[in-house]
Amino acid sequence: MMTILSALLLCTLTVATYQVSALLQRRYKKFWLNPMLITIIAVIAILSITHVDYHAYKQSTQWLSALLEPAVVILGYPLFQQLSAIRKQWKRIVILLSWAAAFVISISYLITLYLIEIPAIAVSLSLKSITTPIAIAITEQLAGNSAITAFAIILAGFFGAIWGVKWLNFINVTSPTAQGLAIGTASHALGTATISQLSYQHAAYGSLAIIISATITAVIAPYMIPMLDILM
Amino acid sequence: MFNALYSISFICLSLALGYAFYAVLGGLPPSLYGMIIFTLLLHFRLCQAEKVKASIDWGIRHMGVCFVPAGVGIMNQYPLIKQHGLALVSIIFITTFLVLTFVGVLYQRLEDR
Repeated sequence: MMTILSALLLCTLTVATYQVSALLQRRYKKFWLNPMLITIIAVIAILSITHVDYHAYKQSTQWLSALLEPAVVILGYPLFQQLSAIRKQWKRIVILLSWAAAFVISISYLITLYLIEIPAIAVSLSLKSITTPIAIAITEQLAGNSAITAFAIILAGFFGAIWGVKWLNFINVTSPTAQGLAIGTASHALGTATISQLSYQHAAYGSLAIIISATITAVIAPYMIPMLDILM
Repeated sequence: MFNALYSISFICLSLALGYAFYAVLGGLPPSLYGMIIFTLLLHFRLCQAEKVKASIDWGIRHMGVCFVPAGVGIMNQYPLIKQHGLALVSIIFITTFLVLTFVGVLYQRLEDR
């Protein structure tokens, strides 16, 4: 009885905090009022004060996490809407994102090896831009650290979700297609979910980038990382 | 109401097929196969776009909340953050913005051509 009640309470708390911060963001239009970020900070604070551990919270909110899968599926709709436009750009998108995947893997791996000097962490950080299940699978294959991969993925998602559009506008990348592609590549589904509210173009190109970069990374990372090791 | 049920059925169908593809092929996670299948169902008009539009718009507006439990998981990483925190966060921050810039700038150039 107690568990059902606390589960209900924790879910309500999460959804209500999210709704209130979404309302605040719509009202004040401040990008840092990101509902996801505010809810996460609020929930962590409340759990710490009330001494509820993460495991209990995770169990209570498992249906919310279960909704992640259908949430990713619905991104097929904006993708369908942009399909004819995407078809013309198909080749250049795949080529660009292949270079981007090689770029992110090598700079993340090399910088981490240089600064932290632990190969397992370097493997984890080099996979942070792609969708969690694939990144974790490759992490295990390459003897990385799954906990760090999961942590890095969330953070990479947040940076893109909160400052991605702001930064791209600042460096004069204003086209919705370029913004969508960039944020999908760097910040996977978390970034894409946030920018999907801006336009169908953002959503479609973000979703496309998630699929293509995950596929390319899964193919090239197992070869690239041993090669980078030789270079060092 | 009917449209909402119609949308939910097609989303579940796509996800179920996604799981089937995943079981056979492996590779991408089930939800990404599901996304591709949903796109194709809409494209070949097996699922009518007009009927799902309102539900999809609602879903896109609210999907962020599904990421909250995973995000709260960061609180379990205190020891990790304590040990390498600053270096980890800075590397993730810098490389994320480098990739954003790389893809954004190059794609916008390609588009303008």
